[in-house]
Amino acid sequence: MLLSEVGYARPATLEQALGVLAHYPGARALAGGQTLINVMKARAAAPDVLVDLAGIPALKGIELGPDGTLELGPMITYTELIGSAEARARPILGQVCAQIADVQVRNKGTIGGNVCSSDPTNHLPPLLVALGAVFTVTGATGERAVPAEEFFLGVYMTAAGPGELLTKITVPAGRSDGFASVPIGVDGTCIVNAAATVNGGVRVALGCVAATPVVVEAPSTDPAAVRAAVREAALEPPSDVHASTDYRRHLAEVVAARAVEQAERGA
Amino acid sequence: MAEIPVVTAETVTVDVNGMTYEREVEARRLLIHFLRDDLDLTGSHVGCDTGNCGACSVIVDGILVKSCMLLAVQADGAKIETVEALAEEEQLSPLQQAFSDHHALQCGYCTPGMLMSATALLRENPRPSDEEIARAIQGNICRCTGYWNIFKAVKAASGQEVAE
Amino acid sequence: MTEPTTVAEPIVVEEAETKRGYAGQSVPRKEDKRLVQGEGVFFDDVKRHNMGYVHFVRSPYAHAKLRSVDVSKALEHPGVLGTLTGDEVALLTDPFFQISSPPGAHLRDFCLAVGKARFVGEPVAAVVATTRETARDASELVEVDYEPLPALTDAREALVDDAPLLHDEAGTNLTWEGVYEWGDLDAAFAEADRVVKISELHFDRFNSTPLECNGALVEFNRGTGQWTIITNNQFPGFAAIMMGPAMRVGLDKLRFVTQDIGGGFGNKITSHPQLVACCLLARKLNRPVQWTEWRTDFHLSMSHGNERWFQDTEVAVKEDGTLLGFRTTALDDAGAWLRYEPLGGVIWAQVTPGMYRWRHIRLDFKQVTTNKAPVSPNRGYSRMQHLWFTERVIDIVAQELGLDPVEVRKRNYIRAEEMPYETPNGCVYDSGDYAKMLDLALELVGHGGLEEKRADAESRGKLLGVGIGSTLDSGTNNFGQSRLINPELQFSGNNEVATVKLDIFGEIVVTLGTTPQGQSHETTAAQVVADILGCSVDDVNVRAGHDSYWNSHAGFSGTYASQFAVTGLGAVKGATDMLAVEMKKLASVVLGCTPDDIELAEGFARMRENHEAALPFMALGAIINANNAGLPEDLDVTLNCRYVYRPPFQPPDVERKFGNLTLTYAAQVHVAVVEVDPETGVYEIVDYAAVDDCGKRINPQVVEGQVMGATAQAIGAATHETFTYDEDGNLLTPNFYDYHVPHALDMPPLKTGNIESPSPFTSMGTKGMGEGGGAGIHAVCAALQDALRPRGNPIVYDSSNPYHRVWELLSDPESSRQRVTVESR
Repeated sequence: MLLSEVGYARPATLEQALGVLAHYPGARALAGGQTLINVMKARAAAPDVLVDLAGIPALKGIELGPDGTLELGPMITYTELIGSAEARARPILGQVCAQIADVQVRNKGTIGGNVCSSDPTNHLPPLLVALGAVFTVTGATGERAVPAEEFFLGVYMTAAGPGELLTKITVPAGRSDGFASVPIGVDGTCIVNAAATVNGGVRVALGCVAATPVVVEAPSTDPAAVRAAVREAALEPPSDVHASTDYRRHLAEVVAARAVEQAERGA
Repeated sequence: MAEIPVVTAETVTVDVNGMTYEREVEARRLLIHFLRDDLDLTGSHVGCDTGNCGACSVIVDGILVKSCMLLAVQADGAKIETVEALAEEEQLSPLQQAFSDHHALQCGYCTPGMLMSATALLRENPRPSDEEIARAIQGNICRCTGYWNIFKAVKAASGQEVAE
Repeated sequence: MTEPTTVAEPIVVEEAETKRGYAGQSVPRKEDKRLVQGEGVFFDDVKRHNMGYVHFVRSPYAHAKLRSVDVSKALEHPGVLGTLTGDEVALLTDPFFQISSPPGAHLRDFCLAVGKARFVGEPVAAVVATTRETARDASELVEVDYEPLPALTDAREALVDDAPLLHDEAGTNLTWEGVYEWGDLDAAFAEADRVVKISELHFDRFNSTPLECNGALVEFNRGTGQWTIITNNQFPGFAAIMMGPAMRVGLDKLRFVTQDIGGGFGNKITSHPQLVACCLLARKLNRPVQWTEWRTDFHLSMSHGNERWFQDTEVAVKEDGTLLGFRTTALDDAGAWLRYEPLGGVIWAQVTPGMYRWRHIRLDFKQVTTNKAPVSPNRGYSRMQHLWFTERVIDIVAQELGLDPVEVRKRNYIRAEEMPYETPNGCVYDSGDYAKMLDLALELVGHGGLEEKRADAESRGKLLGVGIGSTLDSGTNNFGQSRLINPELQFSGNNEVATVKLDIFGEIVVTLGTTPQGQSHETTAAQVVADILGCSVDDVNVRAGHDSYWNSHAGFSGTYASQFAVTGLGAVKGATDMLAVEMKKLASVVLGCTPDDIELAEGFARMRENHEAALPFMALGAIINANNAGLPEDLDVTLNCRYVYRPPFQPPDVERKFGNLTLTYAAQVHVAVVEVDPETGVYEIVDYAAVDDCGKRINPQVVEGQVMGATAQAIGAATHETFTYDEDGNLLTPNFYDYHVPHALDMPPLKTGNIESPSPFTSMGTKGMGEGGGAGIHAVCAALQDALRPRGNPIVYDSSNPYHRVWELLSDPESSRQRVTVESR
């Protein structure tokens, strides 16, 4: 419940933030804190410095391009995204954010934080993988674009390495998207989740079944075909108090088909 | 070379319920402990250690947050509202009165957080539906009431009719 | 015997000069004003100058020898004020008194682990520091050399030959066993048309997770040798009896002070080990020490509800569904220590036949220790487990015999006209009309339209099910039942204390021995006082909380076991009746008449025949307290009355295990309607009715609040709440992230109904209530079983049915069905 001693930095610019992160190898970015602070309470991680990103304007903002591409600042909160007129260009984003936890968490939690904590049960990693988002990672040496599918490396591990920050999430244009999950209680932690998009092809990303989202392409939107494609992925989901491996594997098929069905309805 | 300071403690200045406080605080100190232990504002409570229960809910710069997931140093310069601000000179607010009228509290431990969540809701949505009320307090756990009377109290406080 | 009424009516008296009574009215709560302003005083709100903060070092192993505990590095850490280890504790204190007879009697239970750790989270040392964070940091510097041992995590394995042995002193994990048998089992089974056999049912481990965890601020007064323990322990009578002898001090050296408590539900009864540790530290360090139990600590270590396996059940039943009797083995998983146990081994017997008329019952109760958190009372304590078992049996029998569960219940429910009803083991159910409650509950969920609802659900791809959960809230314990556990024990009966005084300026001040955690004692006590004294509830001041200094407590004082409306209010009534008699006596002296000529009304003591001859309360209070010269020498009036309520109990017959164990029996009948998604096992409660009867209700809104709260907790227990361990003894749900309690959006629509069957055994016809007997668990289990019938008739065999278990029943109904066989005779 109580954190270990930690240093705190309050950068006003991206350069200042990167500077601190480079200087202190044990430093971590503090976004909304809705995951990291709890991790620190449990002392499961003990960064020596927290770099508070809240004061950096460059990390906020939502821009909708003329071609329908959305550029999202990682420090946008779920609440801000839900309320954003621009983000309605890709409605699934707000719909999914509205399912996360509760008002308090949505008011502080950020989309960048959701993505960078890379918790297998999070909503946004599978969603953004399905949508084919691109993550801009910035470090001392400059910027690079990382496709979502390559961004997630493992539990709490992403392509944004030491001394780097996620600085932008780019979501391509599209509307035929779906998301389905089995949460523990309404808006609770996900036992399984799946995001789907049918913008040319049927692309599904499964969450909760591995350390990182698993992409499955189905030959058609037919539920049986989708489920067969999931089976072919030969998942080995974890077993825990909420679900066995077999049960999760089964649920993955079901939510994949439901996500595709929702996506098709929106097409 | 880091250009900006990295501190393990600093002096923070906060406005809580209209009063300004200036205190030296460790960077690691959670806002909820700062309010309770350093400022003696014990109305907000601690009920869990994973940010799930909402007993610590307060309003910071107009936004409802769980103060157990915020460091006190993050609140430097902020305007904070806690349950202690709701009544005016011992006159209960309509929301507080409604909680009492509808028996929306038993042990009272979750109540301050509930009241802040309901306050945040009613500011944004003065006539919420039943579902909107439930969504607004989804982040506040109560073990005594089962929530049903809390729904009624918030509905009543919004001036809408309550099915008894 | 008065007829039960369908709706509670407040007592309304038509004459203009007589006031309406408060009993039966939903009077606004006195507690609310401070609580809605955040001005309640919970233990963690209290500060003392120089206080030290305690952090307990806890075992990461389920079972391990403690080869050494080295605090030297912790002591060097800046800000650390001191430490406490098991070795010290073993010298400074004696083991806690054990309720059990041998072998459980031999357990050596101290406030810190001594020699061995026996569950993950068991405190092995304590560190005190100037800040909370420092204490936490320094605890990581305590070096404990653990030698891990194999862990026992399944009670069913506790008695196999090479099972890990938790307590050498006991020599076995079977720390207590009792065989209960009444009636004539052989005859019952001979008469049966069918015998339904159920190999195994499981009541899962969970608890009520009050939002505020345990804790205390403890001060030691060196001059007087007294400790002041500002805490939220909800049964100070029990804590004192446990702590005093262990600490080798008299009970008057332990002053318990509580004010506001953030929920208890029984889970704040066995904090005495931590309180002892705090007392030792306060004395050792000569400063106040403060202990806050964090959520994870609570889940790991505090007051899990009894986990119970019902094995080899056999039920004797007639073809028409008449239940004759049953036998079963109840294997109770007590966790690592017996702190309130093995009382659970007899407390279930308060409701031996459930709500049913069967007379031939045998239950073998076996309690074993395992490497899990110690169990202790949890809302519905031990009766809930037994009533769940009973309801499961009813539903399984009904299903297997092709009978309607409603009809089976009505055929077998004890009838209103049979009340008071003596059960096979001599308990007396005071009053109730269970069939009427069932009808009301069914009506509330529109049971008549069930088939349409089922068809509608099916059209949406869902399976609909309806289930009944009937339950009893036995209240006001006869502690003599402890002798059925251990004949050597010298406990029996029960008590509660209240004082009522009329002070110098006419203030009426009430103190209670209870420790309310939301049950509205201040309000309901004021209602009772106001009705007797003929004043307004606003004129009655009830002190908040409990304080040993008030001398308003006795051996059983506290708030637990559904009894306040009988014991607490009985004490309040007794004290107020005494005060009323004194007020009338004094008034009669002043007004020159006899006490019978005096009535108390509208805040006055006045002559019934002449209201002008009246004395305000202030006049009476002033005379006795400040102006008493000239009063008759033999006038026995103090206006400060203390009453110890004592329920009418006899010690039970230990040989026959026979006798009345509780004074009152509130009842609840719930009906749950669920819809199951057969593709996933996910289900939703789509409708719900709860009907209660707790006799005369002093404050209907308070009663309804308790019913609702119990319903919500039962729904949580039926769905996602579970204290599940892995095979190494790690708790998989140590916080609210994994242990999912119901949130606002999880709540089903709720319909409530009430009938009032006054108790003939209490001074006001009230019955204790509050625990709620887990009716929601019974109802949800029954509803799931009903919903899944088209999918192979699986048997719901566990009280806890998260989605994965429903999925298992859907995928493989045969597996669950193998637990049940039906023999025809």
